[in-house]
Amino acid sequence: MNGNGPQKHILGTKDKPKSMMNQLSLPSWDSPEGRVWISRIRDNVPFIAITLVILLFWFISGDRFMSVRNWTFIAQQTPVLLLLAFAQLLVVTTGSIDISVGSNLGFSAYMAALGMLWFGELGFLVGIFSAVFIGVLNGTIFSLFKISSFVTTLAMLIIVRAVLVIVSDGRSIYVSDQPMSNSNITSIEAKWLLDLGQFPQILYFTVIVAVLLWVVYEKTVFGQQLKALGGNEKVLRLTGISVNWFKIQVFAAAGFMVGLASFINLARSGAATVQAGEMLELDAIAAVALGGTVLTGGYGSVLKTVVGALTLTIVANGLTIAGVPPSWSRIARGLLLITAIAISLNRKQIDVVK
Amino acid sequence: MNSNSKPILEVNGVSKSFGGVEALREGSLNLFPGEVLAIVGANGAGKSTLIKIIAGVLTPDRGHISIRGTKITRQDHSVGFIRQMGVEVVYQDLAIVPNMTAPYNLFLGRIPKKFGIFVDVKQMQAKTREVLAELKVETVQSLKRPISEMSGGQQQSIAIGRAIAWGKEIVILDEPTAALGPNETQQVERVINEIRKRNTATILISHNLDQVFRLADRLVVVHQGHTSKEFLRNEVTIDELVKAITTG
Repeated sequence: MNGNGPQKHILGTKDKPKSMMNQLSLPSWDSPEGRVWISRIRDNVPFIAITLVILLFWFISGDRFMSVRNWTFIAQQTPVLLLLAFAQLLVVTTGSIDISVGSNLGFSAYMAALGMLWFGELGFLVGIFSAVFIGVLNGTIFSLFKISSFVTTLAMLIIVRAVLVIVSDGRSIYVSDQPMSNSNITSIEAKWLLDLGQFPQILYFTVIVAVLLWVVYEKTVFGQQLKALGGNEKVLRLTGISVNWFKIQVFAAAGFMVGLASFINLARSGAATVQAGEMLELDAIAAVALGGTVLTGGYGSVLKTVVGALTLTIVANGLTIAGVPPSWSRIARGLLLITAIAISLNRKQIDVVK
Repeated sequence: MNSNSKPILEVNGVSKSFGGVEALREGSLNLFPGEVLAIVGANGAGKSTLIKIIAGVLTPDRGHISIRGTKITRQDHSVGFIRQMGVEVVYQDLAIVPNMTAPYNLFLGRIPKKFGIFVDVKQMQAKTREVLAELKVETVQSLKRPISEMSGGQQQSIAIGRAIAWGKEIVILDEPTAALGPNETQQVERVINEIRKRNTATILISHNLDQVFRLADRLVVVHQGHTSKEFLRNEVTIDELVKAITTG
């Protein structure tokens, strides 16, 4: 009953003096109604952006872009980036950042391959554990030593990649669907893994992960607390929530997502290499930002992150089809990232930009 | 007004020094159920030291506080223990998580769960409606939108609601309307009057003497680190109060 109070009191509009703007039929941008409208538009930027991007490339490249074959390719290209973006989403929602996800992916994929070499098929779990372990390490250093997440994970980006080089000695491990006779090549035989990396299996896997993550993100106490931590950490501390322990959990969960990404990357590429995942952290951050998730924390969406990762993949794909050289393509993607963040930011919530 | 009943909170001669400077000297007061007690004083008089001791943030060097007749020992004197004893502090800011809903903010730190991991949204919304109705806050638009879309008065009402929703009998309001406009202040003042009716004991710290006169039943003046004077609201004029604040 109380929730249906007098509608004219909505948002405290009665508190505002009647100005000239309020007498026009359109609400002013600064009125409560105007602010609601702006936030609605801002909420839908990812969907508008992906529609425009698709229409643009359809217009430029026609059927070469809008073909079943190309969209199958896009569906295969997106999952690894999307799973990394999911890892990033969890961390970014709390207002932190994890730029070690690319290195972690390379390392964990290698550990998964090594695990399979040692223990057989279930050995891939070694890779997942490695990824979670690095996440826990990130979270522990960040929360206990109070080093910013950017610096912590930047250091981890360098260290983990170096450890990968040491462990692998620069050699790749290949996945094959039949026994390999060449003794110079280290390989594991796992047809099921290569199959998982193909369309449509790779898509099914990713969709299942996305749905599960959506449930966790939107419906669980953990998901709510992610957003609350991004919104006001001090209040959370005052109400007796163990914020440090929670931050470690968040980075561990992100590590788990990186583990899944590394697993899928191994399946798709058929090899664990020293370079795997390099620079992919930037794409993951870009996908999250293109999905309208504010990098200052507190807000985020699994669905929009999917849209963001898709948008990024489509832009890369569309530019290649249109014959744009790779360097120019990177510039275009960088500009796209800045534009996306510029639109999605709610500047009123940012006091200082550093 | 409640002079016959027992005080729910007693502050007995508490003192606190910071590096040789005595911020509070022998501060004493009693707080009774169902009253609003205002603590007034100039900046630096020792108000916030007194409040921080009551809230458990600071431990007194000498003296102690008692809640419901139970003396709080120095070992027990902590925020956690005093909260457990039923004391809730509402600060002028910091009190809400702006991007979360009103129900989430009301349940902060004690989110009800379903199957161990899921948020019980229905229970939260029902309880929020109940609390808002009790506080006569009727201008809530949607319980599904971020609380930052509500007015400052509604936000602060939720923060106060959080204190009383969980049966807290002693509520400390530290400049609850300092950041609010006139209409929003009025709303929060209505809420304060509502919680008085529930027999909650309220300590109000405010710079706004008009507000103090509108809300408080009794006033304690803190002057130069000492709880120098105590008035019943009906027995003092604003001029006498100002004199007590400035000259002790």
